[in-house]
Formats: sequence, C-alpha cells, structure tokens
Amino acid sequence: MQKRLTTKDWILYALIAVLITLLLLVMYQIDRQWLRLTEMQTALQAQAKDMRDLRSAVSSGTLARTDNAATATTPAVAAAFNRAHAMTQQAGYAQGDWSVNAFGNNLKTLTPLVSSDAYASDVQSYVLESLITRNPDTLAWEGLIAKSWQVSADGLTITFQMRDDVTFSDGKPLTADDVAFTFDFIMTEAIQAPRDRAYLEKIASVKANGKYEVVFTYKEPYFEALSLAGGMSIFPQHFYEPYLKTPQAFNESKGLLLGSGPFQMPDPKGWTPDKGNVELVRNERYWGDVQPSYNRILWKIIQNDSARLTTYRNGEIDAYGARPKEYADLKQDPQMMDKSQHFEYMPPVAGYSYIGWNQERGGKPTRFADKRVRQAMSHLTDVQRVIKDVFLDYAEPAVSPFSNTSKQHDPALQPYAFNLEKAQALLKEVGYEDRNKDGVLEDAAGQPFEFKLTYFDANEDTKRMVLLLKDLYAKAGVKMIPFPQEWPVMLESLNKKDFDAITLGWTSGIETDIYQMFHSSQAKTDGDNTISYKNPELDKLIDQARATVDEATRMPLWQQAERIMYDDQPYTFLMRRKTLAFIDKRIHNLQMTKLGLNRGLLPLENYVPAAQQKYQQ
Amino acid sequence: MLTYLLRRVLLMIPTLLGITLVVFSVMVLSPGGISAQTLVEGSDMKPQEKQALMAYYNQRYGLDQPAPIQYLRWLNNVSPIGFTQDAEGDYNGFSFTKGMDLGMSFMYGRPVREILAERIPITLLLNAVTIPLIYLIAIIVGVKAAQDRGGRFDVFSNVSMLALWSVPTMLAGVLLLGFFASVQHFQWFPTAGISSRAAQDMPFLPHLLNGEFVPGFLLDRVWHLVLPVICLSYAGFAGLAKLTRTSVLENLHADYARTARAKGLAEPDVLWRHVFRNSLLPLITVSAGLLPSLLAGSLIVENIFSINGMGQLAVEAVKGRDRELVLSITWISGFLTLIGYLIADFCYTLADPRVSYD
Repeated sequence: MQKRLTTKDWILYALIAVLITLLLLVMYQIDRQWLRLTEMQTALQAQAKDMRDLRSAVSSGTLARTDNAATATTPAVAAAFNRAHAMTQQAGYAQGDWSVNAFGNNLKTLTPLVSSDAYASDVQSYVLESLITRNPDTLAWEGLIAKSWQVSADGLTITFQMRDDVTFSDGKPLTADDVAFTFDFIMTEAIQAPRDRAYLEKIASVKANGKYEVVFTYKEPYFEALSLAGGMSIFPQHFYEPYLKTPQAFNESKGLLLGSGPFQMPDPKGWTPDKGNVELVRNERYWGDVQPSYNRILWKIIQNDSARLTTYRNGEIDAYGARPKEYADLKQDPQMMDKSQHFEYMPPVAGYSYIGWNQERGGKPTRFADKRVRQAMSHLTDVQRVIKDVFLDYAEPAVSPFSNTSKQHDPALQPYAFNLEKAQALLKEVGYEDRNKDGVLEDAAGQPFEFKLTYFDANEDTKRMVLLLKDLYAKAGVKMIPFPQEWPVMLESLNKKDFDAITLGWTSGIETDIYQMFHSSQAKTDGDNTISYKNPELDKLIDQARATVDEATRMPLWQQAERIMYDDQPYTFLMRRKTLAFIDKRIHNLQMTKLGLNRGLLPLENYVPAAQQKYQQ
Repeated sequence: MLTYLLRRVLLMIPTLLGITLVVFSVMVLSPGGISAQTLVEGSDMKPQEKQALMAYYNQRYGLDQPAPIQYLRWLNNVSPIGFTQDAEGDYNGFSFTKGMDLGMSFMYGRPVREILAERIPITLLLNAVTIPLIYLIAIIVGVKAAQDRGGRFDVFSNVSMLALWSVPTMLAGVLLLGFFASVQHFQWFPTAGISSRAAQDMPFLPHLLNGEFVPGFLLDRVWHLVLPVICLSYAGFAGLAKLTRTSVLENLHADYARTARAKGLAEPDVLWRHVFRNSLLPLITVSAGLLPSLLAGSLIVENIFSINGMGQLAVEAVKGRDRELVLSITWISGFLTLIGYLIADFCYTLADPRVSYD
C-alpha cells in the first residue's frame, strides 16, 4: 500500500500552518507591547528614585546645610526612627535589593480583620501602621504616628496628638478622622471582625478632636488600654468607607490592603490567592524620617519542608527557621554555614508549653482536683531532661505563664525540679499506694492511677517528649497512656472538656494576660479554662490587676498571682523554646533586641550593601 | 447511541446524589467537626472572640441546625432547579432557572465556585501535560518491547518499568528535589511553584534583551513543570507500558495478524493498522480511571512542589473540615470518574466496531 497526500490533506496542513503562524504573530505582538511597557516602567522607577533622594536630602537637612552652613541644624529624627537612622549612617549602607521570605501555607486573604492567620498579619505589618510602637531596647512605648499622648488620672480616657505630615501610600493625608473611622468600621456588625470587636468592646468611643488629635474613652479601667488604642492599625477612611455599604464585598475580599506603612501592595485591591506569591513594593510617598532600604518584600509559598530548605540553600529565600535537631545538624554543614548567619534566641513573646490537668470531668472532680497530685506530677515531669534530650537545650524551663524576663515574674520562684521521693510522698499522702504489687499505684478504692495524655499527633518533638514522660511517670507507678489526636479532634475535646490531661502551648505577650486560662469564670462557659481550675483568691488578683492601669502597682499583683499558680500547679509548665534561624549573609545590621531579632521589625533596620545586592528593580 | 448516552447521563444523577449523601454523613459523623476554632490557626483566641466567631459562623452557615436539614439545604443550593430563598433566608418559591450555588467555603470565607475556578486550571494544566506524556511513553515503550520480545530492550524496559512503578511518589519527589534542584548537586530546576517571580517581568517568548538572554514566561513555565510532571507521570506510564506490551504481544500472535502477514503486508502496517488498534481496548479501560486518579494523585506532587492545585485544596478542605468545599470537590471528582467511564465506553465503539450500545 502506498500513501499519497490528497488535496484534503494539503488543505488541512495549510490551515494548521496558518494557525500556528498566527499564534506566533500574536505572541510576538504581545511581547512588543510588554517590552515597551517595561521601558516606561524603568523610566518611572528612575524618576521615583530621584524624588526619594531629594526628599530624604531635604528632610535630613543636607540641602539646607549647603545653602547656609551657619544655620545648620541637626536632622530631626523621631525617637521611633533612631535605630533605623543609625543604620543609614553605617559605612556600607545602601538602599535597594529585595527581602525574600517563605510562607509554609497558602494565604487565604490579605484583607485586614477578615484574615485570621499569622502570615497575613505579617504582610499587613509592613503596610498598616498604628499610633504608637514599642522600643525594641527598652520595651517602652514610643510615638509613631502619634507625637504624644496623655492618659487621664482615672485611666478612662487617652488623648493622642498626631503628626501632621503622615500620608497614606496613595498620597491622601492621615488624620484623626481616619482613626475614629477605623474604630467605627471595626465595630460595625456587618463587617466580619468578631475577633477584633471582642477586644475593642472595652472602648466606649473614639472621637476626633480637631484634625490631629484623637480621644479614646473606655467603659472601665483596663490595664492594656494604651496598647489597645495605640496598637490599633489605622485604616484610610476614603479607601474602606465604601465597603460599609457593601459589607459582603469586604468580607469576601481577598486583598483590600492600603495603609501608611513603608511598603504597599502594587495594587491595593487586586491581590488574589491564586497569585501564590505576595509582593509588596516600596511606598514611594512614605512619610517616615528614614526610608526603608528594600525595594520590595516578597513572600514565596513553599509548603514542603525539604523544598524550603533547598530553596534557602539555593539562595532564593533569605531565612530558614529550623527545628532543634535539624538546627544542630545544619550547623555542621559547611555549605549552610558558608552562606548564613545563625541565631538562637528567646523572644520575649515566646509562648510556653504545658500539660494541663483536667480537674473536672462530667461534673465530677477528677484525681487531678487535688493540688498534691498535681504537684507530684510536676515533680515527676523532668523538664530539664526533656529540654536536654528532645530539644537539645534550645529551650528554657517555664515557671509560670509569665516569661522569665518579664516584670510579671517573681525571680525568687524556681522551676519544679525532678524529685521522685517527694512525688511519691505526696501521692502517698493523698492515698495512692501499690496495693496489689503490680507496679501501678492504686487509690483507696483500688482503682489504678492511670490517665490518657492527649497530644497533637503531627508534632515529632511532642511525640518524643510524651514517650519520655511515660517512662518517667512509670517510675513512680503512674501509668500514662499516650493519646495522639488530630487537631480538630483535639480542639473538640478541649471545648467539651473531655480529656484527662493534655499538652499544648499558649503564646505570650510582653505582658501576659492570664484571665482566659485561669479565671474561674472562664471554666463555666466556652472559655479557655478547659481544665476547670478554680481559685477565688487568684480570681480576685486577676480582676484587680486587669483593672489597674498603673504599672507599678499592677506588677506586684501579677507576681502574687504567679505565686498562687506556682503552688497550685493547675498546669505543669514545661518550657519556652528558642527561635532557631539561619539568615543569608547578604542581610546586614541584624541585631538582638529585647523584642528578639530586629529582622522585620518596623521601622526596618536591615539592608544589603550595594556589592551584594541580587535583585535590581 | 444517543439514547444510550442520555440514559447514562441520567443515571449519573442518583449516583452523584449517593456520593454526596455518603460524604456528608461522614463529615457529620467524623470527630472534630466544624468549630469556629478549626477555622483559625493557632489556639490563642480569647473566649469572647471564640464565642463571637462561633455565633457568627452558626448564623452565617446554619451550622446549628440538624444535619438532615443542613444536607437538604445544601442540596437545594447546588441543584439547578429548586426552591428560591429571599434575603432573610426563607423559602418563597420554586424555580427551574435559579442556577447552581456551590456555597461558601468556611475556611476561605469565599464562594466555593471562585476557589475552584482558581485551582482547576492549574490541575488541568498539569494533567494536560501529563496524560498525553503517559500514553506516548507507554505506547512507544510497550510496542517496542512487544516487538523485541525476549530481547535486550524488552528485558531492560521490563525491569526498569517495574522498578519505576514501585517507587512511591513521595520519595521520588523529595529525591528529585534534592538532586535536581539543590545547589549541593545539580541545580537545574526550580524548587517550588509553577512559575518564578522573575517571569512576571518577562515577555512571553524567549528574547535577547540588551545582549542578555531572557527565557520568557513560556520557557519559565515549562522549566517549572519538568519535575512535577516527571513525578506525576512515571508511575502511570510504567504501569501502562507493561499493559501495552502484554496486549500487543497477544495480538501479534493472533490469527488475523498471521493472515495479514500472509497477505504480504509489511510488518509496520500489520503492527500499526491491525494489531495496535486491537490492543487499544485494555488501554481505554485503564484510561477511564486515569482522569480521577490524576486529580487525586496530584495531591502529593502538588504538596511537594508547592503548586496550588485541586489536590492541595482537597487536603486543606478535609483538614479544616470545610464541608462545602469537601462536598464540591468530591462531587467534581465523582463527576469526573463517571465522565471518564462514559468516554471510555464511547472510545470502545471507535476502536472496535463490534462494540455497539444500541
């Protein structure tokens, strides 16, 4: 058989050829437009840079000095920008380059209030600003948008005087009306911000008093009043107000983000999760006394742990946070050490992990309702050994919910040490004895001392810790059954208070509020006192401390509360873990502050010297 | 044929209903359930917040109603014909044109339809590259091995296909990343995503800009797809190649093939015009399951290479107990499975004229 091309075939081939040529032509045409646009963009960027240089020259007084040397004034830099200003005086300082980071998960939305994850708030922190900020060295509050503030004697009103030169990234000025609007916006029922409303409910009203003064009035005295008012991110009224008419559009939005911060979304309404990466560009109109050094901040989404490490090794992201074992291994890796600076530090806001002993189950007190049993369990929990064996010493034992460096902590208290004899004596006092000589303690009724320890199954370190504890408890004749659970299941048993003991962690703040975990009122409702711990004396102290605005009188109250918890051991407090990180050598001026490493703290204090810069635009 | 098709399509409705009923029951019965806290990451939420959020979700999604009512409401929403609701949520009429509403995702707080519209094209792209590749390699290797029965190629391909088939995707993915994307070995391919950040600032086609080579968006995308596609396809073509080989071999020795050779047909004509066509039937049978399995199979690959496709969405949805999303995804994959079988049945008639459904 011989194949021959018929006319039909020829027409078909011709048509396909024409189609392909057309397609190529279209692509070519699109590319021509693209190249043209790129040219224009480059030109615009160059202009923006000139403008920026000019502006910083004017604000730092360099220009004035050349006009008249006699009237030279020292450049006025607000206190909040002091550290950043010191950075710009370093020898190798240069503007430019990008900061590239990785997220381990997809972002759902970047819209403030609607977003609930830490990643989104990370992005928002570069875009939105608040009235005041904490000084990383002293932890004292410093004005950012606020110049100064007064707290009334009764602690119920706070008045902020604001800077008059602040603009949002779209050029509109930021005024007291925007602050008042932000509060009203969050308190609007139709806006999906139930979490934020739960805090701000303590505020009765926020009123603009003239263009640059704003007054917060509280319903009752509250110890965190200043940080609540001053820490509220300020939204531009002109941008968010239209959404009061269409709240649904706001609640379902993906990337409505505009603020006065040093960085901005390239398109404040246009980001969607399918873009994957999140990218912020420099706010060319930034009002601050020191301009940020980076041109862009980019977050890549890399879910897989080994892919994240590989990407870091390849130099495509700037930082890698490691787990203890991994960190110790990587420190021996020449390739890794060659390109990285490494840090191990304890941020003051590092959360603590604990074992919670449930004191009430199904309306009946459990064996853990007796304080002596809990004390015995704390004596049996060899935290030092857990830290050494599981966390390779990259953690410190926790004494209470309060950080060891915080003023809330009484330094006289020492963590419970492992003490088998003491634990056994305490248990004997309650009536636990090994009656049938099977190695497990029994109570008076002959019931063996055994309990299930619920823990999150996906965490390797926790798993190893639980197995270690099992052996330790067995030494005293206490039988612990490890009970790994999936996250949603664990949350459900927490909500229903349906567990014997559970190990979890809580995040802390600079000043930690213990109301939600330890106040009796939180045991009744859906509250977070899931172990049904009640102590009227502690309740009184918590209430008192929370209503005390003056720090000097408040701190002793917290310390008193801490002593009660230390004695009661509602939780066995385990440890606070260090942050272990590798950061690319390119990034300069990394310093340790009281808030942790100064990477990502605003105003930005890191830069890349000109010779080491990787990204142009 | 048309009545047959119609019958099959109509039969899909009860099947799909059954699937959703089963999935819904599993979701209701599974421990954990949907709670406000499941929807936010971390556990540091104050009680007031938690209650506020819980009340909000209950009211918005009707989570506090009994399960059968929730199911019926969901069914009414997704069905193209059904009762219509007014602004207060009361049912006020019956409509044949109300359209489908897949509902809102709890986790994302956005319409499911929108989320799917973002994710499906990515999975489609992966499959559009992978499926033809699987068939191409499987057929070439399979036919060649059958022709060369007992020869060096046959033995070699047999061993290597079996070896490939038994490597778990998870391991293969991590190994590929470790060797071909790491600076420690060969840094030939990127580690994550389906296009690089730089591609956003590139023209579509490769170019020489100011004497510097710019790969362009197209090449960058291809470059990113190499490792995931290898990972997605190797198990598929390894299995299919074995199948092709057996089936071609069987037909090569059939009577009709001998007759064709006796008639004086050249060997390639015997192979491609007669034997190959008959060997297609088992391949078609397998193809019915390929479409849905690729959707599920991309789950691991998408996770390793950080690609935002359907596989990943499914995992996230199940982890977060996001009911509307899980139901929609199972519905779609159920639908795809059924469509896969329908297409396979239809292809039988094309490959083998003896098959007819009238």
